Amino acid sequence: MEAGKFYVLRGENGAGKSTLLRMIAGLNEPTEGGIFIFGKPNKDARHSMGYMAHAPLLYDELDGMENLRFFARLYGIATDAPLQDAMRRVGLDPGLARRVGQYSQGMRQRLSLARAIFHEPRLLLLDEPFSNVDPESALQIAKLLAGMRSEGNTILLVTHQIGLLANLADEYLMLSHGQLVDRGPMAGGNA
Amino acid sequence: MKSKIFFLLAALTCVLLAYGTYQGLVVAPTEETMGDVQRIFYVHVPAATVGFTMFFVNFLASLLYLWKRSSRADALAGTTAEVGVVFCTVVLITGPIWARYAWGVWWSPWDMRLNTTLMLWLLYVSYLVLRRSSTAGSTSVLAAALAVFAFLDVPIVYMANRWFRTHHPAPMIGTPNLDHRMQNILFLNMIAFLVFGALISWFRYELERTTQKINAAHIRKAAGSGAAMLALPAMWMATPGHVNPLAYLWGGYLAAWGIYLSYLLFLMSKLAKLKKEMAELAAG
Amino acid sequence: MTQPTQMSITRLTWINVAKDLRLEWRSRDVFNSMMFFALVVVVVFSFAFERDDSRPVMGGLIWIAFLFSTTMALNQSWARELRNGVLDAYRVSPAPAEALFLGKVLGNFILIVLLECLMAPLFVVFYNLNSVGPLWQLVVIALLGTWALVVNGTFFAAMSIRTRNRELMLPLLLLPISVPAVITMVTATTQVLTGEGAPDVQMKFLAGFCVIFTTACFLLFETVLNAE
Repeated sequence: MEAGKFYVLRGENGAGKSTLLRMIAGLNEPTEGGIFIFGKPNKDARHSMGYMAHAPLLYDELDGMENLRFFARLYGIATDAPLQDAMRRVGLDPGLARRVGQYSQGMRQRLSLARAIFHEPRLLLLDEPFSNVDPESALQIAKLLAGMRSEGNTILLVTHQIGLLANLADEYLMLSHGQLVDRGPMAGGNA
Repeated sequence: MKSKIFFLLAALTCVLLAYGTYQGLVVAPTEETMGDVQRIFYVHVPAATVGFTMFFVNFLASLLYLWKRSSRADALAGTTAEVGVVFCTVVLITGPIWARYAWGVWWSPWDMRLNTTLMLWLLYVSYLVLRRSSTAGSTSVLAAALAVFAFLDVPIVYMANRWFRTHHPAPMIGTPNLDHRMQNILFLNMIAFLVFGALISWFRYELERTTQKINAAHIRKAAGSGAAMLALPAMWMATPGHVNPLAYLWGGYLAAWGIYLSYLLFLMSKLAKLKKEMAELAAG
Repeated sequence: MTQPTQMSITRLTWINVAKDLRLEWRSRDVFNSMMFFALVVVVVFSFAFERDDSRPVMGGLIWIAFLFSTTMALNQSWARELRNGVLDAYRVSPAPAEALFLGKVLGNFILIVLLECLMAPLFVVFYNLNSVGPLWQLVVIALLGTWALVVNGTFFAAMSIRTRNRELMLPLLLLPISVPAVITMVTATTQVLTGEGAPDVQMKFLAGFCVIFTTACFLLFETVLNAE
């Protein structure tokens, strides 16, 4: 795959899309072979990788900024500025003192995205970012992804809802039973 | 070729075990104070030797697995833990039968050596449980990590034995206290049981490899029809003094062989099941 | 591009501890259930034992109460990381796994020690307990014993969250491994309470146990965390 492009990963349920994403993120061990990101083994490239899973990966008992602050420290970021910036980019108010447990599904998803992008990763892995999300949040997320793409970052996204991305993504990859069966440009390859 | 060696080894085991048992029961001199009950010693000590050897191999195989991630090492670790538990069970059953006659109690709760042996047994049983109940992909790694921990307890056992009191007879091998005829027969039995242990392990290892292959062929969890080997015959015996020491001796031998044979039966049933699965796999 | 610097492991450990304690402070689900359990044990057994001389059995009773409260706390401390899959977010980050482990151990240690401090007066009240031996020895034994339980417990809880029957697996794995430590803790506590002999050997043994198993946990944690 080339850097700087927006890929959409498609396939039936159980085709191995999420597993592939988890392998790239270093969460699952591939049975054989290794994964290289920007020329480094994936475990050494964690700084340049952002991962957004199906589950929100956030603490319910903390509010938005507290969540981001905790995860930011893991990436060696000690200041709040990039975090507030990330919150604004996903359309959330950094001053909102409400625990994530009381967030709506759409807000959670946005915060989850903020968690994946605050360290400005060059590779963004997204697992079903549009599921259970209100149309407004979905649009916001799509717009943000387009922005990241135009900054030259690579995006790999798993989704069922192709419609939203028709004009954004460059290429699609079709998986079936863990094998790549088809790929092609986004515009022509699908309805 | 492999099966030829296997059957040769099996034949050798039978001869050695038969000869060793005959020597232990008939030829060996009767011990002065304990009488015939002391003959339990010829199954008790060899079982301990084999059990601890198995646990040691388990530790090495687990380290090898953590380092190389080879499925062979994992199979070996699983095998040796299970066989080790069987032999350790024999130690824990024959010991109290002897103790009931010699000390007048089944178990001495403050004895560190007894407790630590029981603890080792518990550790490896928990290891086997972990192997059966962890989620598919993680079993081998988790089991290997646990094995390292379990083995770390062994030096602690030694320290504990030195620091705290024990009633358990001190090892007498190589000391002039042990009649040299007894010692020779003990060695004979140790070798016989070590060969026996190696034989069962080999058999079990092949079963484990087959299971791994079946699992790889179609990712389905092998049914863990476990604890057959843990089913122990309930035993009741009258108070000592009223009873012939021979009753304890026979009790010990019967218990030991009952466990070995039921484990072999368990392995046979496992073999039959695996063969059926292989046939289904080939047909499907 | 933000600077790909890494914070020191001590700093990250402390961040983990602070996060865990804050979560616990907000939900309080672990501490309350732990406290309640220990309380029930104390009260129920105070009816069962004679008041006059409970010292010989107190060592065992105290540690049973703490041991089982600890297993509850440990299970919960990892269950929290599994909710919403937060553990995955930690695993994709460049932060070292050891910081997560040490943070959890310290967080749990603080909670259990707090529990012990709150329970101590209750033991005195309900069992009319006072120690014949010196009190500082009890404190040392309690700290070493708690550390021994918590360090292994945190490790094995991380292991048992990967199994099908999580809550059952933890005691099954933890208790056999901790038997030497538990026996030593109980005998040492009893010796101090009854004033029969000094528990020097036991304290050294416990210290050795803590060192050996802390090292082992530390070395193997990353492997276990990424076992999938």
